[in-house]
Order: sequence, then structure tokens, then C-alpha cells
Amino acid sequence: MERPIFKPIGSLAEDLDTPALVVDLDALEANIEAAHGRLRGAGVHLRVNVERHRCPAIAHKQLAAAGARGVCVSGVSEAELFAQHGVADILVASPVVTAPKIRRLCALANRAAVGVVVDSADNARRLSDAAQSAGVALNAAALIGGGEDSGGVQAGQPAVDLAKAIRGLDGLRFAGLARMDAGDLSLSDDESRRRIQETADTAAALASAGIDAQSVSVGGSRCIELADGISGVTEVVAGSYALMDGRHSDALPNLRHAARVLATVTSLPEPGVAILDTGRKAMGDDSGFPAISGASGGADADTLQVASMSAEHGKLQWDAAAAPLRIGGKIWLTPADIGACANVYDYIHAVRGGRLEAAFDVSARGLYR
Amino acid sequence: MDNYRPLIGSSVSDLDTPCLLIDLDALEHNYGVIADTYRDTDVKMRTHIKNLKSPLLAHMQIRAGGTVGGVCAAKVSEAEVMADGGIDDILIPNQVVAEDKIERLCALARRAKVMVAADNADNLRALSDAARASGASVGVVIEVDTQMQRAGIRAVEQGVALAKIADSLDGIDFKGVMSHQTLPGHPDRETRFIEGPRFIRKTLDVKDAIEAEGIAVEVVSAGESWTYDVCATIPGVTEVEGGTYALMSHAYAYMEDFRIAAKILGTVISAPRPGVAIGDTGSRCLGSPSGVMPMVDGLPGVSPSSLHPTHIALRSDGDMPLSVGDKYMLISGQQDIMVNRWDQYIAVRGDVVEAVWDIPARGCHN
Repeated sequence: MERPIFKPIGSLAEDLDTPALVVDLDALEANIEAAHGRLRGAGVHLRVNVERHRCPAIAHKQLAAAGARGVCVSGVSEAELFAQHGVADILVASPVVTAPKIRRLCALANRAAVGVVVDSADNARRLSDAAQSAGVALNAAALIGGGEDSGGVQAGQPAVDLAKAIRGLDGLRFAGLARMDAGDLSLSDDESRRRIQETADTAAALASAGIDAQSVSVGGSRCIELADGISGVTEVVAGSYALMDGRHSDALPNLRHAARVLATVTSLPEPGVAILDTGRKAMGDDSGFPAISGASGGADADTLQVASMSAEHGKLQWDAAAAPLRIGGKIWLTPADIGACANVYDYIHAVRGGRLEAAFDVSARGLYR
Repeated sequence: MDNYRPLIGSSVSDLDTPCLLIDLDALEHNYGVIADTYRDTDVKMRTHIKNLKSPLLAHMQIRAGGTVGGVCAAKVSEAEVMADGGIDDILIPNQVVAEDKIERLCALARRAKVMVAADNADNLRALSDAARASGASVGVVIEVDTQMQRAGIRAVEQGVALAKIADSLDGIDFKGVMSHQTLPGHPDRETRFIEGPRFIRKTLDVKDAIEAEGIAVEVVSAGESWTYDVCATIPGVTEVEGGTYALMSHAYAYMEDFRIAAKILGTVISAPRPGVAIGDTGSRCLGSPSGVMPMVDGLPGVSPSSLHPTHIALRSDGDMPLSVGDKYMLISGQQDIMVNRWDQYIAVRGDVVEAVWDIPARGCHN
């Protein structure tokens, strides 16, 4: 477990023990207002993908915004955690296939409205049987895939057939369609829109077969920008928009980088080289290096760049003539992937106006089961 | 935070997934290699606990033998967890510079034998001031950069100058020198035995120059898992900072003396098309710095085709042997980053769960 030296409320952010994951509450609140407002204008709900921060305190801020509808989680243990923290509407965005996990899902359905994605009729039958034995009803959404390496069934007739299979089962309530890979950042805008459209078209095909898809969900924060104007989509599943990260900068240019990691310069071994106490372990840099967004003591962040990262250290190149770095100086790093970064921390230090306001628990950190 | 407590005696096939397994036979083999290698040598292992994050796993190597009786810890908080777990000799082979963290280091030095690496005179003075104020004695080693161009002094004379300062200051106890080395790729044994001594030579040059000034050098800490056997042949090296050898990773498979002891157990959750299986083990639980992929254990022809945050896509050369609900095992490419994503080890012997061990130093980045 993380063991920072905790600082009193009101401390300056740059006095926090490092490495520290720090969230600027003004930026977070502005991002929530902007993203939820955008979708509200389009008549689309936002389901909060809490896997991107695993923090109930932040989830509740998102859920309090108008237009929010429940959370999305990656697995059953994460669902259990958020139910424990008072969330009443939870969608599990991966198929749940093993008998013990299905039983846990059914038990959870006594305490919250629980939905799960399904991509095979066989899995649907198993879920239904277990739900009936447990005396509960599970909401089941047909998962649409399409990428080479995605789970899910093809849009169109295969999805319609799966929806019919779900509707025929007594333990399940058909909840609609879910396409979690629509906003994948590796896709072009056109391909992303095509996947969203294909999902909406499948809902229309269901409607003409007399089946009402209550929710038509598309996943990925960039869908906040892209789902607008595609009628038939009822819900965008998004998480990264709230704290933001380097990966989403281009797709969501109007949102602020609310989450940053504070690091300390621990060595200046030669001109132009600075070593940080923050490496891959503390960045969770599965998706690439962080960006430098600030430095203490008047150093100009634009003259610094990340040269390399190792497990325990970051290495910066700096213009020795321009940037008066000193040992003990602080550097702000913007993570490339906030989901990976938050998942290595137990605490998120929440600041407003550069001063510590709260320390939030990352309660679902490490819950993969 | 996870708290997975499967019943002792459970079969691996009944475990909930994903989970992190330790193969006890492989771990004990690896610890035995270290005990055998250093049984009669002057140089000993100082296990780098950043790879394991568990005082128990440190004690197991210390009991097995071949060690200095202590560990390396990357950070002060990690060192605290080791001290809490009964390890009383800890080297932090990194710089501790923030005032409050130096205070914490000094507090630790009052209850365990602590050494820290320095590469800067101001830092030595700050350590000295804090140690004197708190009544602690903090051991100091000078970090020597031998090839990684990370922290550490670049020239021999810098090392001598720092050693003189350290030797003259109260509160800190000059102990010696330390360095790290890496080799990219999959070097063969011959390459390791050529490059290892070449890199480490500079550390010994610094030691010799310090001793020429009449200052005793007690500790020469060098090396990694890949030089564990190399260091046993280099006179003057007193301890080796190896970590990966204990649990291993596929990137270190060229170290053939050690067995893979850490594996991630996963379950297939979808089989969307022939030849493709989607599993529940994503990059979150594996750690995938710069996109490094895990390997599939024991299923020839099956390999990962893409890694997503919470799932993995596996493909097969021929018929896919995995169906929905089937279990599979993965071997990480970077073991220490993987362990830092977990709260429990499920320790198994053969197919049976023998113990569940917490990973208390997980997340100790501070």
C-alpha cells in the first residue's frame, strides 16, 4: 500500500510528498460540466466509466452532474466495491462467464440495479439460470464488437439474434445494446462514427422487429464529441474525460488536464540531465511517457523533456542555460493514460487553487476480479 | 485494494481470476541457486525487494542463505515496510533529497541499519544535519554511474571528493560505493562475463581511489540478476543487488539458471471468432511499459495479439485450444512492474494453493 507522508489540509500542492497523484478540483469540475453539458444538449446520458480512476469520491461528483446515469465497471469485484460505496446502477462491461463470478453478480443484484454485457447465447443462458436460482433479474446488454481482437457479436443481424435470445430468457431483462470499442483512440474519427452509426442502426433494426432497446450505449470518452448528431444513441460510456490524460488531448481539446503526478528532482548528475524519483511504477505508463506540464522555482517546463523512464526513475533532458533546476525541485507530469496511472495509487490528493483540500481513496485500485 | 483469500488446498483450476501466482518449487529453486552460488564467496546477495515488495520473500532468501542478511529497497517507504517486517539491514540505492523524507529516513535508521546512496555534496550535508538532529547514524554509499547515464557520479575524482566529505561529516557513516548496470536484449553467457566486469570496473576504480586517500571502503554494491554469477568472479565486489532472479520474467529468460516463478492466471471470457480468445487479464494487472507483451505459458502456438486495459486477445497458429471459461497462464515481460499492481500472491505447489501472501510494499513509490 502507498505510504506517503500526509500533509495537512491547506498545504501547498508542491509540498506534497512525491510521487503523488494530484487532482485539481476546479479542472475536474469544469471537465464534468463541459462533458455532461455537451451530452445533455444532445439528449444523451453519460454512464461513468469508473475504471478510469477507481475512486468513489470522484465517481460521486460525476454522478451528481445532470445527465449522468450510473457507472460502468470492468469486472465483478469493482462492481461490488462501487455498490458498497452507494452506487445504485452498475453495468459490468466485460462478459462474466465463470459460475462463482456469476453467483456474485446475482448476489449483487439484490443491492443494486446490475447489468452485464453478453456476447453469446450460451453465456446468456447461464446467466439466466443463475439469476433464476438466486431469485433476481439481471439486466443484460448485447455486446457489439467488430475489431479483430474485440469480444462481442457483429452489429446487425447477429446482434438482433442475440437480443432475441436474451429476451427469451426468464432470468434476464434485455437492457439494450453496448458497443464499448466505438471510441477506441486507435480509430479514425470516421471509423469511430461508423461504429456508433452501426450501433444505432442495429437498434433501429431491433425496433422494426418490435424490440425496444432501452439503452444504446457507445463507449470511449471521444464519443462525447462524436455521438452528437447520431440519433438513436441513448448513452455514452466515458471515464477519462473527467481527469484527462495525454492520450485524450487531441480527441477532447476543450477539457483540462485535471490529474497530474508531482515528482521530485533527486539528482543532477551532469549538465542537461535531471533524474526524478518517479518512474514507470509510479506513472503506470503502459501507454507511453508522461508529458511535463510544470516545474517549481520558476523553471520553464517548455525547456524540459522526458528522455527516458525506468522502473523507479524518470530522466529529463533540460536546457541548462534556460531552466534553473535544483535538486529537490518539483516537476509536474501529465500521465499518458489516467486509467493506468490511478491504478497504481491508493490516494488521490485533491487540490483547489494550488492547496490541498482532501485526500481521496482509490478504493477500487487493484480490483481485477 | 484486493483481498483475495482462496482456501488453502484449493486447486489452481478453481481460482478466481485474474490472480498472481507464485510457483513455490520454482521460487525455492531460484533461492537455492543464490544460496549455492554465494555459500563460500566473499560477495553475497542483497536481494532487491522492489521486485518482490514482501518482507516474507526477503526472509525466505535470507534463511535459504547466500545473502548479506539484508535487502535493497528502492524508496524510503518500501524500506519502512521491510523494517516493519523484521528486516534490519537495508540499502536504499537511490538519492533521498526532500527534507521531510530525510527525516523519515533518519527515523528508520534508529530502528534498522540503513544505508542510502548519494551523488551530491549538498545532499551529504543535508543527510548529516538531519541525522545529527535526530540522533541517528545513516550509512552512505557513493553512487557511481558506470554506463546507464542515470544518477551517480561520472568521474572517479568526483567519487573521491564525495567520500572525503562523507567521511568528515558527523551523523553519516561512509560505507562505500554502489552502481547499477543493464544489458539490452538477450545476451549470452560470454557477453555477460565480458560486459559485466567492464561496467563494474569503474566502481572498483572509485573504491581504489578512495582507499588511496586512506578512507576505508567496506561496501562495494554492484550488479543485478544478470551479473549474479559474474560478480562472484570479481574480487572487491562485496554484494550484488539482484531482484528479478527470484520470480523472473520472459525478458530475463536468457538467465537459464533461474525458473519462471511468477505467473498471471486468467480466464477466457469470449471466443468471438475462430482462432481468437479474449481473456480477462489486461495491461492493468500485467504492467506493460512501452507496450511490452506477456507470453502465454505452456500453450505452443498461442500468443497475445493485443493488450487492452482490462482484457487480452490471444490468437492461435492452428486450432485455438482455449474455449470460454478455460484458464491460461501468462508470463510477464517486466516482473517488478507487474508485482506493483497486486495486493496478494497466491503461492502454489503444483496445482494446489499452499499459501496466500500479502504484498505490503505494493505502491510504496514514496
